[in-house]
Amino acid sequence: MTDGVSPPSPTGCRLTGETEESRILLRLRVLLAQATIRSMVTTARLRLSLVILLSALFWGSLYGLFYEAFLFLDSLHAEVISLLFNAFFSSLMVMLVFSTGILLYSGLYTTPEARLLLTLPARSDTIFAHKFQEAFWFSSWGFILLGSPMLVAYGVVRHAPWTYYALLLPFMVAFVAIPATIGGILCMLLVACLPRLRLHSLSVAAGLVVLGIAWLGWSAMAGARADTMSAAWFEQTFARLAITEQKLFPSWWLSSGLLESASSTTSTAPDAAEGNALALAEALRFLALLVAHALLLQLLAGRLAQRVHRLGYSQLSSEVPTRRQRRMSWFDEVLSRSGTQAGRPLRLLMVKDLRIFRRDISQWSQFLIFFGLLGLYFWNVRSFNYQHSYAAMIGFLNLAVVGLILSTFTTRFVFPMISLEGRRFWILGLLPVHRDQIVWSKFLFSFLGGLVPCCLLVALSDVMLGLTPWLLGIHEVCCVALCMGLSGIAVGLGARMPDLRENSPSKIASGFGGTLSLVLSSLFIMAVVLVTAVPTHLFLAREGIAWSSPARSGLWASVGTERGVLAGLAVAVVLGLIATLVPLWLGLRSFRRLEP
Amino acid sequence: MIEFDSVTRTYGAKVAVSELSLSIPRGELFALLGPNGAGKTTTIKMLVGLLRPSRGAVRVSGHDLVGDPRSAHLHIGYVPDEPCLYDKLTGREFLWFIADMFGMPRDRAEQRIAAEIEHFELGEFADDLAESYSLGMRQRLVFASSLLHDPDVLVLDEPMVGLDPRSVRIVKDLLRERSRAGMTVFMSTHTLAMAEEMADRIGIMVRGRLTFLGTVADLRARSLGAHAASGGQEVGGQQSSLEQLYLELTSGADATPVGKGSP
Repeated sequence: MTDGVSPPSPTGCRLTGETEESRILLRLRVLLAQATIRSMVTTARLRLSLVILLSALFWGSLYGLFYEAFLFLDSLHAEVISLLFNAFFSSLMVMLVFSTGILLYSGLYTTPEARLLLTLPARSDTIFAHKFQEAFWFSSWGFILLGSPMLVAYGVVRHAPWTYYALLLPFMVAFVAIPATIGGILCMLLVACLPRLRLHSLSVAAGLVVLGIAWLGWSAMAGARADTMSAAWFEQTFARLAITEQKLFPSWWLSSGLLESASSTTSTAPDAAEGNALALAEALRFLALLVAHALLLQLLAGRLAQRVHRLGYSQLSSEVPTRRQRRMSWFDEVLSRSGTQAGRPLRLLMVKDLRIFRRDISQWSQFLIFFGLLGLYFWNVRSFNYQHSYAAMIGFLNLAVVGLILSTFTTRFVFPMISLEGRRFWILGLLPVHRDQIVWSKFLFSFLGGLVPCCLLVALSDVMLGLTPWLLGIHEVCCVALCMGLSGIAVGLGARMPDLRENSPSKIASGFGGTLSLVLSSLFIMAVVLVTAVPTHLFLAREGIAWSSPARSGLWASVGTERGVLAGLAVAVVLGLIATLVPLWLGLRSFRRLEP
Repeated sequence: MIEFDSVTRTYGAKVAVSELSLSIPRGELFALLGPNGAGKTTTIKMLVGLLRPSRGAVRVSGHDLVGDPRSAHLHIGYVPDEPCLYDKLTGREFLWFIADMFGMPRDRAEQRIAAEIEHFELGEFADDLAESYSLGMRQRLVFASSLLHDPDVLVLDEPMVGLDPRSVRIVKDLLRERSRAGMTVFMSTHTLAMAEEMADRIGIMVRGRLTFLGTVADLRARSLGAHAASGGQEVGGQQSSLEQLYLELTSGADATPVGKGSP
């Protein structure tokens, strides 16, 4: 009876068939997608346009990059393309297993929708398929955005026939389905067998795998420091990456299939036509292999869902919440007790935010992973043995990367803070705390919280690049300006455009205000880095330690002096002050008048 | 219609529901009372199939919630304490989705949706997206969706939370009407007055155990008996002594709820 179709009851109800149930859930998805698109077109045009524009820019830049890289490799090391494809797709495969697993964990077990569907007469395997489609889409669009420019560029360089381009999408979809389904299976097994470890184990494992892959990648690149980018360096690196060329890996099937389908020629000679047909047949064989495995895994996942989904949901609900006594840490104690009595409310608000940050795994784990990866990259940057002429500019690029990473955090976590506070306004509103102090406490929390890791990362980058203390000083001043300005933008705009109805920080951050905050933050970072990098570069070029020839006269010559560098630095500091004070002033004014 | 057969549910070492045996016949309106953490929500979650009993069995209309959950769900309507809707669906689209999931024929579904929209006075906003609904509107829509398929058993977890007085009246009238027509209603509530007004029988749960099962008249008789036995003076009338007995039955029982989502 569990999976059957029942005859109608006297009230007209019956158990629906599998196909009918899938159709109902598909219709639900279509309705939700239509409503979401309509609402984005009418209320979030800026965000939609930015997403499309930035995606197109990203795609175009990647295409250009890959096109040049394939031209270079095709002429020198054509045989390594297969190895590169395998390394790329096998890394993505591992990441897709984890990303889909985590998305499905949330979709199948923790969302209110899961609870609703489990109280309806719905099949567990249909619920799994419904949530899988969602996770599949979310985890594969990044892959398609990253993989498609690479594969299109390869096809263009290799003069691949039209069949290659026609097969790209089926290949990618069939490939993504395999690690995604494995992720789903692992997620269901983990929840059913190890409910108490649940998200923590998943996130710790995912973090370890990401760090492990990063470490492997860097150690693969790091071995031959003296021969960077030489033939010997390439050979050593590729020998290390050969581990990804396992014939049982779906990534190998994908690489081989794509390479086969691109290997056809456009010649019309009879023997060429026969060769083309053989290559296409071989490519289709690999595609069939991918599709067959994807379908088999889907079947297994469906069967598994029937057995363990409801059980897992029940197990997960059985978890006893931790009732660990949480005492005040020494740091909180020092922060709340030090300073003047007048500033105490502000410090207490900061202590509260610090505690919430420490106890929210999603916040600090992302912070740790992103800054950890950046630290790993900076630590290994010396492996590339850059010449000094490049090193100074790479130092500025690294500064920009630190700023960009910080801006994603300020937008994602700091911008929504005022909105979330707004929902608890009745608590704060009754306290003897001036509203300004709430805004300033958020700013100080964000500024001081970002300042320490960012300055350390910038220092690490410069030391590893072997830059002079003079350049290190310039970078550190810029870093302070960036931390200050980014915090000002996020807190100021957060107070100026709060969303008091929403209680999900991610939804608040992805609204108009959050998008504007991200755009302004990016522009601010570009401005600060450019006004200091350009005069510094021109100055170093004049001194003969940067790669381009210095301008001998005119504006550029005057910019490329010590005074020009100092002026650039002063402009960066002024930009930092403007980015801090203007949004904060707007935010404070608006927040004082806010009626929750 | 509803049967709890020696049901025990544990959360680690903590026993949330202990050896619950309870049978509720067709057409009865049953109210489960108890303080926070008494095990009411755990009981309800087992009744709607979200939680599996550690021991024992729960059956609805003869269908076991673990062995045959889909068939059991066909007979259950559920109104959770926190209404779950799709924000990007309109109220009417949501009702159609529920009707489709219950396999209702189109003409029957159309008729039932129209009737429930009218009954819960949803017409004005039935074609607006649910994201614009207030808590009370959401709750009314969930009520409408839970009754769409004419369930044999209606399970309500704190049903009046978020409803305005008019909606409360609509719901009370509807529960009486439906239970007279043969629908079994199982609801959890904190409010003794609500149970007293509505319920045919009440159960009082304390620390996972059913400490009282009977009618309000039984509870009142026990209350008066206890009062007379102690030789006390009648101070606030019968209502006061009923409340007093309820508080005595549940005194010191407030416990931290266990299990995810427990109230």
